[in-house]
Amino acid sequence: MSGIHDMGGNLGLGAVDVRDDGVGFHHEWEARVFAINRLLLERGLYTLDEFRYAIERMEPERYLAASYYERWLHAIEVLLAEKGILS
Amino acid sequence: MTARRFHIGDTVRTRAHGNGGHTRIPRYLRGRRGRIVALAGSFPLADDRARGVRDAQCTAVYSVRFDAVEVWGPECDANVTIAADLWESYLEPEHA
Amino acid sequence: MSDHDHDHESSAALSNRVKTLVAQLEQRDLLTEAKLDATVETFLLKATPANGGRVVARAWVDAAFKQRLLDDASAAVAEIGIDMSHWAPVKLRAVENTDREHNVIVCTLCSCYPIALLGPSPAWYKSAEYRSRTVREPRAVLAEFGVALPPDVRINVWDSTSELRYIVVPRRPQASEGLSEAELAALVTRDGLVGTALL
Repeated sequence: MSGIHDMGGNLGLGAVDVRDDGVGFHHEWEARVFAINRLLLERGLYTLDEFRYAIERMEPERYLAASYYERWLHAIEVLLAEKGILS
Repeated sequence: MTARRFHIGDTVRTRAHGNGGHTRIPRYLRGRRGRIVALAGSFPLADDRARGVRDAQCTAVYSVRFDAVEVWGPECDANVTIAADLWESYLEPEHA
Repeated sequence: MSDHDHDHESSAALSNRVKTLVAQLEQRDLLTEAKLDATVETFLLKATPANGGRVVARAWVDAAFKQRLLDDASAAVAEIGIDMSHWAPVKLRAVENTDREHNVIVCTLCSCYPIALLGPSPAWYKSAEYRSRTVREPRAVLAEFGVALPPDVRINVWDSTSELRYIVVPRRPQASEGLSEAELAALVTRDGLVGTALL
């Protein structure tokens, strides 16, 4: 595992972009990914920790390039495939 | 769950290494000395659940506060503390 | 890294991936469109920073409530009708700002956030810059938010690494004496509840 997610104290980063449009989800698919994850967690298909670990196992370049909910989508797809639920 | 090993006010030292997989102790807090400032519940160890262990036993979690100087060294802003919620197995006793 | 607007995969492509996923899950009877909609409703429509505002305003006007909030925030917010049960096993903790100490919340490993009380998190909270720098140089990060704290005010950073989620109880604004609880709640901002703004 790369540990790319483990960001505390990393050096070389610039200022925080504090701009904020106040919108929680910028696309409808983002809210749907959020909801899919909740439902699959409730059904016990995987745990929140397995979900987080699936995000942490992303290739570092891909992790950094992906938006927040894109990482979530990736993790859901990976877990469902690994568990043989979806091909 | 079993009895808590630590209590509020205890000085502890965090484990120096991760486990190679999912864990909830960030790298920047490993091998550091801190003080337990609050109890943070009792939960199955995330490291186990991430490996697919379904019946992981609940174990104690503690809020551990670190002085910034302990974490970042003498050059940092000394009037800063950092706290994290850490499972008991991440911690070892340390003399104050 | 920005949270949106320069996705390496286009939003249309991602939307199609989600459609495919939903169709496959429906085929296997793992969810329905109706359940998805209901889930969005249950979790998100009720999750707004107005909840956090109500909690803080009550704490400002009711010292006994404030003590219960600081002792057991999950139980205290239930008293005023905020239901955290959908978010189990996550528990809530409130930390109070004073004239000597300022608190700020971060999640360096992920982007854990008290969504029930604050709504979905802003892009900056999930950014590499915020997650990396807040634990190392919080005074500089806060300055970027326009929060200038004198060096003698101690900053306590809370890294949400386990199952607790944090809210900050900001200091009550000066000259807010005559205001009603509802008016006080309206003064509380989301950033105030994260610790990246003063009120």
